[in-house]
Amino acid sequence: MTSALTNPPFVLSSAATTRREEEVSHSMRDLAYFIGTFAVALFLGIGSAWYMIEYGLPLTTTKVGPWSGWDSEGKPDADPYTKAHVARSGRLPLSSTVARYFMARTDSNGHTLTSSCEYAINGSPINARWWSIALYDEYGGLIENPTGRYSFNSEELLRHSDGTFRINLASKPRPENWLPSGTEGQSLILLLRIYSPRETDSLGIGLVPPERLPKIERKSCQ
Amino acid sequence: MPVRIPGIYIVLGLVLTGLIHIVAVLTLPMLAPKNAHARLAALGPANTMIELPEAAPGHQVMPMMAPDVRYAFCRFDLANGPVRLKATVPDDLWLIALYTPEGDNFYSVAGADMKRSDIDLVITGADQTVEEAGVDAPESSDEVVVVNSPVTEGIALIRAPLVGPSRSARAEQALKTTFCGLYAKAG
Repeated sequence: MTSALTNPPFVLSSAATTRREEEVSHSMRDLAYFIGTFAVALFLGIGSAWYMIEYGLPLTTTKVGPWSGWDSEGKPDADPYTKAHVARSGRLPLSSTVARYFMARTDSNGHTLTSSCEYAINGSPINARWWSIALYDEYGGLIENPTGRYSFNSEELLRHSDGTFRINLASKPRPENWLPSGTEGQSLILLLRIYSPRETDSLGIGLVPPERLPKIERKSCQ
Repeated sequence: MPVRIPGIYIVLGLVLTGLIHIVAVLTLPMLAPKNAHARLAALGPANTMIELPEAAPGHQVMPMMAPDVRYAFCRFDLANGPVRLKATVPDDLWLIALYTPEGDNFYSVAGADMKRSDIDLVITGADQTVEEAGVDAPESSDEVVVVNSPVTEGIALIRAPLVGPSRSARAEQALKTTFCGLYAKAG
């Protein structure tokens, strides 16, 4: 009887402890799940935002071969991705209704542009009031060279009789239009800026036919 | 034994991912301390035309500046009234563009689109009119372009694309004659 009296409370308390332990382990598991979910969501949320702002999606950019341009760049009614891209870039681009910018980090075969290789940039006339191809390092800085040549624009470029042109992108001097790429081993960015394109789409955004964007052909590497 | 993740966490994860994505996209522009406006604001006072030095290796106010364009800018501040921009545009290629601090290009005009080579542009704030600035019907009003700005502070940027390798001196000279200042002061 005594044991019967002492025992039940013990049994009861033991059961309660087990249940409490189970509850604790349950809530621990829930917390772990929640933290895990939050960590994954943080990674995916920020990662996807960063990617869409840095590189863009077909919805926000036009990609033609190695060239990529933001369709609503500089426009006051641009989407938030384009606006974030512009703010992060530190640039002050003209609205895409006035000018178009196309950037290339690779050649036409998708290989990263580097000063260790030599390239031929072949193009045909672009229907615009003024345009220019400029070369930068991967941080957007101009590249030191003895001739002080950083770009070629529509007014100064040497052309063939049919209007086509070839720019030789190389670290060593080349004939025709030589765009010096500086010391070997650095990644390069080409920026094609087209001011006042003469064709526009229904939104007034400057239109550059895809075949008018120059081809970037790798010739040789050191 | 494979770990079973309860469906609720997958749903929660997706919702959180979406929310974090939206917050990140909307706050990133504000978290970009070196945006163009901040870079230019550091160069001098408001309502003054400032020429940007020619882009050179290691010397660029903004990344990816055009080496074959000469720039001048005016950080306009409409707190004390409209701001006037005057320039004699030497060729069709010049572009005058107005920006909000976030980089929205809300107005632009090209040399080729102007009837005359002299441009007289008055930037007004949301609640300002040119009349209020103390001058009614300024000059003959068809010669003055009035642009209503959605922001009190912003940037006017003039681009002078070079027409040839030896033309930079001419472009720089023309940029020197441009004016930016309070409308009333300019008369």
